[in-house]
This record gives sequence, structure tokens and C-alpha cells, in this order.
Amino acid sequence: MDEKKYQSKYKRVGQAYDRKDAREKVTGQAVFTYDMELPGMLHARCLLSPYARARIVSIDTSKAKALPGVRAVLCGEDSDILVGLYMQDKRVLAKGETRYHGDVVAAIAADDEETAERAISLLDVVYEPLQPVHDVDEALRAEILVHDDINELKHYVGVFFPQKDSNIASWNKSKKGDLDMAFEEADLVVENEFSLPAVAHAPMETHVAIVQADPYSNKVRIWSSAQSPFAIRQIMADSFGISESDVEVHIPYVGGGFGGKAGIHLEPLATLLSRAAGGLPVKVRATREQEFNQLPTRAGMRGRIKTGVTKEGKLTGVRAVYDWDSGAYADYGVNVGKTAVYSGIGPYKVDNASIDSKTIYTNKVFSTAYRGFGHLETHWSIERQMDILSQHLQIDPYEFRMMNLLKPGDQTMSGEVITESNGSPSDCLTAVVKEIGWTGRKTEEERQREWKTGKVRGKGFAMLQKAPAMPANTSTSVIMQMNGDGHVKLMIGAVDFGQGAITALAQIAAQELDIPIEHIEISAEIDTRANPYDWNTVASKLIFMGGNAVIKASREMLRKMKEIAAQALRTDPENLLHANGEVYHRHSPERRLTYKQIALGYMYPNGTGIGGPLISSGSSIADGLTNLHPETGQGYPAAVWTFGAHAIEIEVDVETGYVDVLKVASAFDIGQVINEKLVYGQICGGVVQGLGSALLEGYKFNSDEQLMNPSFTDNKIPTMKDIPGKIVPIYIENPQHNGPYGARGVGEHPMISVPSAVGNAVYDALGINFHVLPLSPEAIALGIASGKKSILCTDVDCLPGRH
Amino acid sequence: MISRFTYFKPHNLNEAVQYLEKKEKSFVLAGGTDLMILLRRNLINAEHIVDIKALPETTAFEFIEGAGLTIGASVVVNTVVDSEVVKAKYPALNEAAASLASYQLRNRATVVGNICNASPGADLPPALLVYDAVVNIAGPQGMRQVPLHEFFTGVKRTVLQRGELVVSVQMPEPGEGDKSIYLRQARLRGHDLATVGVASRIKPDGKVAIGICAVAPTPKRLFALEDMINERGLSQETIEWAAEEIREHIRPITDVRSSAQYRLQMASVLLKRGLLALIGKEA
Repeated sequence: MDEKKYQSKYKRVGQAYDRKDAREKVTGQAVFTYDMELPGMLHARCLLSPYARARIVSIDTSKAKALPGVRAVLCGEDSDILVGLYMQDKRVLAKGETRYHGDVVAAIAADDEETAERAISLLDVVYEPLQPVHDVDEALRAEILVHDDINELKHYVGVFFPQKDSNIASWNKSKKGDLDMAFEEADLVVENEFSLPAVAHAPMETHVAIVQADPYSNKVRIWSSAQSPFAIRQIMADSFGISESDVEVHIPYVGGGFGGKAGIHLEPLATLLSRAAGGLPVKVRATREQEFNQLPTRAGMRGRIKTGVTKEGKLTGVRAVYDWDSGAYADYGVNVGKTAVYSGIGPYKVDNASIDSKTIYTNKVFSTAYRGFGHLETHWSIERQMDILSQHLQIDPYEFRMMNLLKPGDQTMSGEVITESNGSPSDCLTAVVKEIGWTGRKTEEERQREWKTGKVRGKGFAMLQKAPAMPANTSTSVIMQMNGDGHVKLMIGAVDFGQGAITALAQIAAQELDIPIEHIEISAEIDTRANPYDWNTVASKLIFMGGNAVIKASREMLRKMKEIAAQALRTDPENLLHANGEVYHRHSPERRLTYKQIALGYMYPNGTGIGGPLISSGSSIADGLTNLHPETGQGYPAAVWTFGAHAIEIEVDVETGYVDVLKVASAFDIGQVINEKLVYGQICGGVVQGLGSALLEGYKFNSDEQLMNPSFTDNKIPTMKDIPGKIVPIYIENPQHNGPYGARGVGEHPMISVPSAVGNAVYDALGINFHVLPLSPEAIALGIASGKKSILCTDVDCLPGRH
Repeated sequence: MISRFTYFKPHNLNEAVQYLEKKEKSFVLAGGTDLMILLRRNLINAEHIVDIKALPETTAFEFIEGAGLTIGASVVVNTVVDSEVVKAKYPALNEAAASLASYQLRNRATVVGNICNASPGADLPPALLVYDAVVNIAGPQGMRQVPLHEFFTGVKRTVLQRGELVVSVQMPEPGEGDKSIYLRQARLRGHDLATVGVASRIKPDGKVAIGICAVAPTPKRLFALEDMINERGLSQETIEWAAEEIREHIRPITDVRSSAQYRLQMASVLLKRGLLALIGKEA
């Protein structure tokens, strides 16, 4: 970042410390699950379904079993274990019917990978191919059911709503006001459809798990590249019918997650293989191809938005229908769908609104959490719709948004009243619009003039909002212990998979205790036997919830220190203050003790000790949240909203269709910067990842729903060369009164609404509204060539201009 | 099925050719950037891998005034990228080489391998084609030469017979005032296969040569189009005409990378931009 340097009002919170894990990672010392080898460890390979939907007629495993070096061969007949976060809908090994091209039909553990792979090729499976469910429209017709047992599936009752005899894993709803009246009163009602394809998380380290399952007891030891050790433990216990304490989960360093490693993935399969192999540890590792076509992805989505607005630009009503193509299993997909019913109209005041969000089964690769958790998708719809409305109204899109943004006293979609403590959406918008030098939309004459040069510039912006999507009683905890040298060991249950959690939480502890950050010992490696509970490392909730837990633990630690020090100094704890690693008397500061003197208990000159090793803890539970009403969606789902905005300047090559991103300005009301370097990293990474969704990424399937781009050859993500000319981060600091130092989460937010801002900039440049992502060079060039002003489809099969 | 193969590294050409002739399911290894993918995805069943990097004939990289440039089969793409002679004499080849894959891959991938893999979308053939490159092939019957435009016979297919091995590719020296350019379209700036790649060359006598990839089963030299352009005489008007006419000379397909329609448009745009840039240099 250039220009003005961020200045914090605190000594440690807000300072740009290096990541605590930086040296270990850049010097290659950090150990990831992928690197790990355990004594006697076996290697696994899977046979995946060659059809989107097929009946498994027979499996002959005899040749594979006879191959020397093969220790276990498993297929659906060997285990009926079902897993699932919110819907128990996924068999570890397919039986009867396969549901997508990545379903595991058989798995083999052998002495080495080559033997396992050879054994896979010796399996003789007879399939009867069945007609798959291709897309959400076909799925909604329910002529074929992806799960014919949908009526019996065990699920999280009252929060998710699977529909009888359908392909709808959950239909979530919200409504308020009188929508018919709102559309009647509107001067203008505009309806549009927007869509975007599934995309991959593409972490550097693919999914990998090593499991050692004791064949003589329920004990299961897991090492996994995962975001959620405690969720793995709980789901393993549920699915295998064992107790949580039977399951021990170790998370070494994790090479990227982006939501794709939340929940549970390869661990159950590795467990079954280890048991079958007599308890030897088994490593199951996804190849890059499997990472794309077996492990889950971000769902494709279609949004249909109908908006009523007065001619002055006041929103009267919004009807939103979101259909999520979740593929074969619900996983996190149903919860992604759920967020749309309380966040799916964007950060606007709308008194009359209804949202229907359906998470739908099809026979494609299934979906899960992905940075932004549905918000990139819903904002692609809402923020493009807002831009199109402003075109119809001939009102500046900035003015139009400012007129409708949430402000204190307004209600969110679910009926929560916004206060000053929520931060300010309009501060964010104003900041980015100013940064980008917005002076109003380009005129047609200006466009024509620039067009002759072959390159047209455009500016666009979009709002964003997100709150953690989590159960109403989500909680986290930390344990703090002082070492003999006065340093502090901080243990958390959440995983630092690159987002900087351990550094940021260490800073909060250092600030509270007033000791250098180097004196906080904290590890990214988690062991459920030792580390305290955390629900899941997802949802951009850790700074908020974990930060509060660290503050509590720190204050408890200080209280205990002062009690001992008061005894030693012969005073009342009330008289004691702390600074720079010392406790001292507020009236006579020469009466003081260093932390080190009391860390393991204070010792009098004659050797007598008091106190004992200092230890404290802190817990934090989501405050005042409720489940949403099943019909109206009213309630309190949001522990902490973070609002933001992006403004983007682009240049379009009108012949090749290439969109050059010149500048991105991103503002977030994060309440308080905890670490400027880390938040800047989150913003740059999120913006670039968002640009991937905007310009480049997307799954392509053939007619049997087989992924046609299951590798980096054709499933492109941005590279170093694709980073925009300039990324300007803007930190807005309206404090959240119940946040640690006023802070809110921002991990996911930089990705949200980047595509909508690009789409709006493309309109500014070309005068063409694109409704489909990605805005690839091909889509843009052929969109221009079509001569149409609205581009509704850019699939290979329905390219504009082809008809 | 995972290949189980014998690795053989011959030290003279005869030995290599005899081995390749004698052993079935033999595959030639130079950089390995294409071969490794085929092996890893079990797309071929190799029983013998013949590493040609120790053959002295394959390591040649030399420019002889009057004779031209020879690039041996073991010469990696970055050698060509870094060559001052190539930059000065064969700019389209330099640009094509610099656009191929990523720096790391260019350190392994060879120029000749890019030809022998015979991918329709290979970046180097369009540039080699406009320089009338000739492929030197060693085989059981001795050496033979095949013009590059006759070398490709289909998708991933060449004229190479069993026992044959490409030793080098060579190009005559262009005359004074020769110009060329390679333009490609890809999905992003970072490394990607070409959606379309066009090499354009204007020779000292004003005649053009056009090579193109990813619009037909093989990389192609567009001789017929060249004749038509040369007949009309090179001008901005001719270039604009040629940019439309090129659509009649190529047969792109729709695949996961691009639609045929976009490939047609990009062939047109890249030819126009290339030739205009070349006459712009002239002006």
C-alpha cells in the first residue's frame, strides 16, 4: 500500500506485525498434513463413479485384493456410514446408486500409492448408467430424485427444510410487509435474472487426511488439512456412533481452505480404510483432479430479482428467488442457501420483501462453504439489479444507493434494527466512490468516442454486507497460561489456515497484558486433546468471537496476577495497575513485581510460595441470536454485520473482450484494524479471488455432468500476472460496541461484490448489461458482437449472436 | 494403467534410432513436459523411455550467417527466449517462445518437443512455419528433411515413423528488413494455452507469411491467404480485407477453452493487429 500509512491509537492492537508463522512458512519448515508420513502408513486410492448417475450392478474386487501390497479394499457393501453437516445424505462409499462423477465407488489402501493405483485398475465394476438430473430446472420438476430417500434423511430440524418427494434439500423463506402493494405503488417494476457457475476453492494443499483407527476400540486418531477440528470430531462421533472423546483430531499447518476444508471430507473414508487394514494409519490424499471433481465446490446459482421503485429512487419492494445448484449432496450448501433469506436483498432498507432460497440436488459435483458463503452470488444479483434500476431511473447509481442504504433505525431483512454500533454502509460507499474519482456514468457519446480507439474505460461500484452464518449458539474458547519467564501461552481451538488468526489474537492478548507480541506463544497446530473448543473456523467470526474470548482470558489472568501481587506487596488488588510486564502500586509505583516473579507463584525471600502457575480461560458465545421463523425468516441471525463497498476502474479491449482491471478501491467498516498488514493481505487476496469469479472461473460440464475442466490447464485462477494495477484498501473504523476493541470480521468480505462492481463497470464502459459470470474475454467479445444490450447467457451452447 | 518402463539414455544417434526401432511402445523424452502428463494421467502405456539429451546432435543451438538457425531437439525454450540472434532475426519466434507456458516450464520444455507433441494449439509452430522451418529427422534409413508445414498430419500426429527421431529444426536466415510478430489470445495474462495464436511475417520483398494455431487439427501455414494478400499488395485496406478473409481459411472447433465463433473473431483480430503493427514499424 502506498499513500497514507495507517496509524493505530493502540500500542499493539492495530500495529502491522509480521505473521507469527511467516518464517516457518517461507523457509519451508512448516509441516503440512500433505508432508506427513507415519510409521507403517498406507496410501489410499479411490475409484470414482464414471457416470453422473448409475446403478452399481456388481463389483468384483478379487483381482485387486490378490495384488501383493494391497491391505484393504472397500466398497459400498462394506459400510453404511452416512455423513453430513446439516443433512445426513452422503454415504462414505456409494452403494446402489452413484450420484455424481466423484462418488467413491471403491477405495483401496496399499503399501504405496502405485500399488493402490494398480489395484484400482484391477477392480471390475459393472454399472447401469441412469439418466442424471442436469440442472435446477430439471431438479425442480422432480421427475428423477437424486435422493429417493429424501423424506427420511436425518437433518437439522427447524433450520433446514427438505421438501417431500423433491430434489429440494432445503427451502428457506423470509417475507415482510406487503409486496403486492409495494409493486402497485412503485412507479417502476423491473425483473431480472442473474446467474453464475460453480467454481473451485483451489487451495495449494489439496484435501488430505491421515487416520489411524484402532481396530480393538473406538479410538480414532486423525491428522487432517481441515478448518474445523471440533466439527470433524463431532460429526465423526455422530456418524460412527462413538463418543467425541474417542476421536482425536490434529491439524498441522493448512495450505489454504477458503471454506472448502470446513466440515468433514476425507476423514471418514480414511477411518474405514484404517480399520479394514488392521489399524495401520492410512493417508487419503486428493489429487489435483480430485480436488476439482470429487471434493466440493462453490454452488452455481441463479437469482431472479423483481424490484419496485418510485421515480425518485426509493425502493418499495423486492422479491428475490435464489436457486442453488448444490450438486449431489447438501453439505454446507443448505446453510449457504439459508444466508440468502436474511442477507439476500443487500444492505438496503426495504419494508416489503420476500426471499425464497432453495438448495437443490442435481447429479453434479456437490457444493460447500466458499469464502463469502453465498454473498458473492446474491450480491452479483442484487448489485447488478441496483445498477440496472438506476439506468432505468436515470439516477446516478451512487445517489440511488445512498438513498436506500441501511442507516441507524432501519431494519434488516430479518427485522433486526440497525444502530450506530453496526457501522456505516454509506461511509464505505462514499469512500470508494471518492477514491475511484466517480463523476457520473459515461454518456453514449463518450463511449462512441473511446470505442474508436479500440479501448473503452468504465467505472463501477457495488455494496456488500455479511454476517457470520452460524448456529445461534455458536461458541469458542481460549486457554491462557503463563510460562516461568513471564511469557504467555495462548491456546485456541480455531485453525489458522492462512488468514492470520494466531497473529491477530496474539496481538489482542499482548495489548491486554501489555507485553511484547513476541512474548505470546501461540501455535497454528491444533490438537483436540489439548486445545479448547471452537465451533468451526469459518464465517469471519474469529476476530470477533475469539478476540472477545482472548480479552476475557487476559483480564482473568490479570485479576489473578493482581491477587497474588497484592498479597506479596501487602495491599489491595484494587490498588494495582499493570504495564510493560509488571504489576505496580498506583500510589507508590516502586512497589512492583514483574510478571515473571508471579508466573509460577510468588516466592517470598524465605522460599515460601503462594499462588501457583497462572492459568486463565475465556469463552465467547454468540449473543442474542435466534433461529429464524420458518415462514417469515424473522429473527436475529447476525452476531456482527460487516459492511463494505468496492469501486473498480477497468479498460475493455472491444475486439478481444479482455477486461483490464486498472484500479480497485475497497472499503470495509471493520470497526478497528487489528493488524494492518494482515487486513491488507486479506483485502488483496479477496479482491483477486473475487476477480477470478468475475472474469475467469467456472466449472464446465458435458452432457453427462462430467467436469470438462478438472485441472489447472482449463480451470484457470488468477496468477501473479493477473493482479490489478492498483488495490487501495480503505479501513472505516466505526466501532462495534461488543467487538474486541470495536473490531468486526473481514476475512471473507473482500471477495464479495467484486464481480458485481466489475459488471457495473463493464456497463459503464460498453452500455451492455451482462447477467452471467464469468465476464471472460470471450463472453465480452461475443456479447459486443451480438449487438444486444442485455447478455443473459454465455454458455458455449447459447452464445449470444449464435441464434 | 500406470506405465512400467525401462529408461534408456543413448549416447549416439545410431544407438537411439536402433533402440526406438526395435522396442515397441518406446517414447522419446527430452524436456518431458508433455510426456510426464501423459504418463501421470495414464493416457499412454509406455514400456521404454528414450532420453535423447545426451545425443550431441540434439544439443546444437547455432546461427550461421547465410545458412540460418538450427535448434537441436534438446534445446529448451528459454534458450530461444534469451537468444539475442533470435530476438533480432526471428522476432516472432522469440515472442512465441516467451509466451509459452511459464518460466519454470520453459526451462524444461524444448522447442522440438513443442513440434513433436503436435498439439493443434502449440505456440511455436506458427512462428517456425512463417520462417519456412525444416525438420531434420533421423531414422533407420538415415537422415531425412521434412518441411514443417508437411510435418503435422493431425491432432497429435506427425509424419514420424517407428524408429524415427527429430534431431533438430532449422530455418533459413531472413534477409535485411524482414519483420515478424507473434500475437496470441489467452484467457488470462498468466500462463495459459493459446485460444488462438497468429504469427505474421513480412519479407524484405513485401510478401507476407502467416502461421496460425488452435484453429485447425494442426498448426497451419495459410499459403492460400498469403497468395491472395500478396496479389492485392500489402496495405491497410488489404489487411482489413484479409482479417475478414481469414475466416474462410481456418476451421476452428468449439471446446472447453473457447467457442469456434470466438476463435474466428480472434484469428481475424490478431492477423489484423499483427500486420498493422508490422507495416506501422515500416512507416
